[in-house]
Amino acid sequence: MSYNIKIEVFEGPLDLLLFFIKRDEINIYDIPIAYITREYLEYLDVMKSMNLHLAGEFIYMASLLMRIKVQMLLPREQAEDSEIIEDPRTELIQMLLEYQKYKEASVIFHDLEERQKKYFPVRSSSDNISWDPDLFLADVHLVDLGIAFKNLLDSMPKPRYYEIKTYKININQQAQILRTMFTGRKRIKFSTVAAILKNRFEVVVTFLAILEMVKSEEIRVSQTSIFGEIYLSKLQLKESNVIADA
Amino acid sequence: MLSQTHKVVQALLFSAEEPLTVEQVERCLEETVDLGRIITEINNYFAEEELPIWIQKVAKGYRLMTREEYEPWIRRLYQNQGNVKLSKSALETLSIVAYKQPITRSEIDAIRGVSSYLKSLLEKNLIEIKGRQEGPGRPLLYGTSSHFLEYFGLDSLQDLPKLKEIEEIMNVEIEEEGGGDDNNGNTAE
Repeated sequence: MSYNIKIEVFEGPLDLLLFFIKRDEINIYDIPIAYITREYLEYLDVMKSMNLHLAGEFIYMASLLMRIKVQMLLPREQAEDSEIIEDPRTELIQMLLEYQKYKEASVIFHDLEERQKKYFPVRSSSDNISWDPDLFLADVHLVDLGIAFKNLLDSMPKPRYYEIKTYKININQQAQILRTMFTGRKRIKFSTVAAILKNRFEVVVTFLAILEMVKSEEIRVSQTSIFGEIYLSKLQLKESNVIADA
Repeated sequence: MLSQTHKVVQALLFSAEEPLTVEQVERCLEETVDLGRIITEINNYFAEEELPIWIQKVAKGYRLMTREEYEPWIRRLYQNQGNVKLSKSALETLSIVAYKQPITRSEIDAIRGVSSYLKSLLEKNLIEIKGRQEGPGRPLLYGTSSHFLEYFGLDSLQDLPKLKEIEEIMNVEIEEEGGGDDNNGNTAE
């Protein structure tokens, strides 16, 4: 079965509905919802089968149409004090009429555009008008230009550079340094250790190394008084290389 | 024969970049004039002499234009550049902005039932931002520009066809035969 369907370019779901209304000479105030919903969904199917992208607005309108269709089937309650029964189609009709108004207006704009494109303005360009540069820049000196340029430079955002250093030290390495410091000694002062450290990063890593060594019972840390000198003393170990394995 | 004033106004029209306003003319002439009458007389003179130009009242001013019968030659001069017309969706969006300004994007979208591209209309300088709406989110308000009036050859927004008239035309169509005539580009097939 072959279909010969001419696909129009519709600006949206309202445009598509107006097309059906016009094509089938439907009274916009009395839209046969079941019929138009069927037509609408068929069109969506055609678009889908052609792998055309279906904008969300088209899907939304489909759900709106089906909701109205359902509401038309349900028995409607009549308010006691009014004789008017609320028609579920009212909102849709209002939307269509409002849209149609501007769609018609856009045709008028198209005609105006067509008409105006036939006339060409007699052009004059200010490039032809020569300004006397001396008159134009009456009281300006070279210094003023310099000041203006400096102000411009000052107002420019200043580039900021940050250097990222990589430190090639680690806890094991610092532990090893500590061990060499212990050679021939049982006890060393923390201040002696701190003296050889070059920066904050080394201090942190060395401190962590000390903590590790304390944890593995390789050394012991002691202090005689508050804020007093800290001593690191070597403990006799079963295995002295726990740190290296950690 | 045209007076000296008529000739000065012509000279001003020839050298103006934008539509020439009454204020500009009176500033140059240093006297108040009935510009509308002067323009009509110059236009009559152009017609009598069969000159290829005429003066259009556009965007609250006057502008010297070529007559439409010379369009084909001028098109060739510009090698058909600038003959790009606005798309259907651009015209729809524009007509909503024109009649309902100042208007927000979401109000435009609600009428069209789709989301609209305002960027190209802004770039073409046909619409401009008029301010912000008070309320949640303070959305931008759009309106038409003075270039919009020039583009469509309108003197002011009052020259737009009234929406009431458009509705009346629509209603006549509906009453006649459900709007069966086919002047809208939609092929009834």
